[in-house]
Amino acid sequence: MYQLAIRLLLVIVFIISPDIYSHDGINHSIKGKSKADDAAQCVEPTELMQKEHFVFLYHQRDKTVINGVRTKNHSFANCIDCHVSYDEVGEPIPINSEGQFCQTCHVQTAVNIDCFSCHASVPRGRKPEAHISLNYNHLEDQVSQEIEKLVSYVEGVK
Amino acid sequence: MSTDIKLTRRGFIVKSISVLSTVYFIPDLFAPAQAAKPLHEEVKSDTKWAMSIDVDKCASGCTACVDACVEENGLYGFDRPETDSQWIRKLTIKDIKTDKVKVVPMLCQHCENPPCCDVCPTGASFRRVDGIVMVNQHTCIGCRYCMMACPFKARSFVHENLTEQVTTAPRGKGCVESCNFCVNRIDHGIPTTACEEACMKEGHKAISFGDLSDPNSRVNKALKIKQNRRLRADLSLKQRVTYSNI
Ligand code: HEC
Ligand code: HEC
Ligand code: HEC
Repeated sequence: MYQLAIRLLLVIVFIISPDIYSHDGINHSIKGKSKADDAAQCVEPTELMQKEHFVFLYHQRDKTVINGVRTKNHSFANCIDCHVSYDEVGEPIPINSEGQFCQTCHVQTAVNIDCFSCHASVPRGRKPEAHISLNYNHLEDQVSQEIEKLVSYVEGVK
Repeated sequence: MSTDIKLTRRGFIVKSISVLSTVYFIPDLFAPAQAAKPLHEEVKSDTKWAMSIDVDKCASGCTACVDACVEENGLYGFDRPETDSQWIRKLTIKDIKTDKVKVVPMLCQHCENPPCCDVCPTGASFRRVDGIVMVNQHTCIGCRYCMMACPFKARSFVHENLTEQVTTAPRGKGCVESCNFCVNRIDHGIPTTACEEACMKEGHKAISFGDLSDPNSRVNKALKIKQNRRLRADLSLKQRVTYSNI
């Protein structure tokens, strides 16, 4: 009887646990494939991320918007870039749509976030860190200014 | 002119430019690398972003700056000109005395004494220490006092749900927004705004952007060459966007 109780308890724990904690690095429930599926770990230890991801995000958003800090680690754009899933044809699936990364847990825990009314739910447009080389324009501009000045100078002394 | 002088006018210009270019190129190739702020550092008040607009160089009918802004910040509207967001727009102004018509790009003037920030009840309208006036959309409640306070009508309100935002410029219904000097670019070490870049590419070079603390910045050069004016200087708002030939 005692053994049966233990087993029953084990079975119950086993059934409940996937909802709360289990994470083996493979997202069995999420449709599509994300960069995170191949990555070894998150930006912080997984357990910390599960409990505190929003704390990181809330801190980061003030640091970025008010103080111009652009570190990548806790950047929202970066979470989305890594965690968004791509379907068979390589199209990104909005990360907050049904069954996707930022939605599944929240449904279970009745969390409602409005972030995606503003933030793009798939990577869209230029990457924040993509560097546009403008040295060329910059120089061209100055050279042409020099030419203008020079020409007017020469014309003046002639 | 005797024939043994080999240095023609053309030759003189070409040679002077080659010499000048070495002088002018070298510091500029290295300057941006020094100027860019490391990503983990906070912005400091010794950087002073500013813009100078030469109205005579701004071509009527050209919308390169406006289009570039729309693309950079994903400002796709609903074909409702009355309410669609405009971070930069082109105005046509006419001198009543002389009937002379000019076109002027109008954008957030990034005042040092910004009236929008004075009236904001939540502190969402704020002036970043490097001089960029912007909206912290996380705390904006959409009351639109700032829009009333702005003498330049530089701000827009988002009236509808949006779906096509770009990653670098989140924006959404119920918030006020305006030009932020392409803050995302600047913070990532790209020292130019989308509108300036477009204006340069178009060959007009009416817009010069840069850091007032850097004597070699394009904005400082533009300020040196031509007398610049602030719009509505009587309001003493000390805008960081100034105009020449207006
Ligand atoms: C480089 C890719 C990468 C980035 C960037 C990233 N993550 Fe992760 N994240 C992962 C991986 C991989 C896991 C799974 C780790 C594991 O199974 O131990 C994970 C796990 C998580 C988990 C736990 C998920 C679960 O089911 O247990 C949360 C929550 C999370 N990430 C949120 C975020 C947030 C928020 C950000 C942005 C601040 C972010 N991640 C950025 C790769 C990333
Ligand atoms: C009303 C629109 C709006 C909403 C809603 C919103 N944001 Fe933002 N958020 C912005 C804007 C605008 C920026 C500034 C973007 C920039 O300069 O790169 C920003 C920037 C950020 C940043 C820093 C940039 C980055 O990619 O790391 C973080 C983090 C962030 N938001 C988190 C959140 C979170 C978490 C939520 C939901 C709780 C949220 N935001 C909701 C508009 C919004
Ligand atoms: C491991 C499951 C899980 C994943 C995956 C997950 N969240 Fe959460 N999230 C939660 C839980 C649980 C809470 C509520 C925590 C609390 O209230 O103590 C929460 C709360 C939040 C909050 C705070 C909400 C509030 O009302 O303050 C934000 C913001 C948030 N999550 C953003 C995200 C984003 C963005 C993603 C996708 C990158 C994400 N979460 C993915 C489980 C998850």
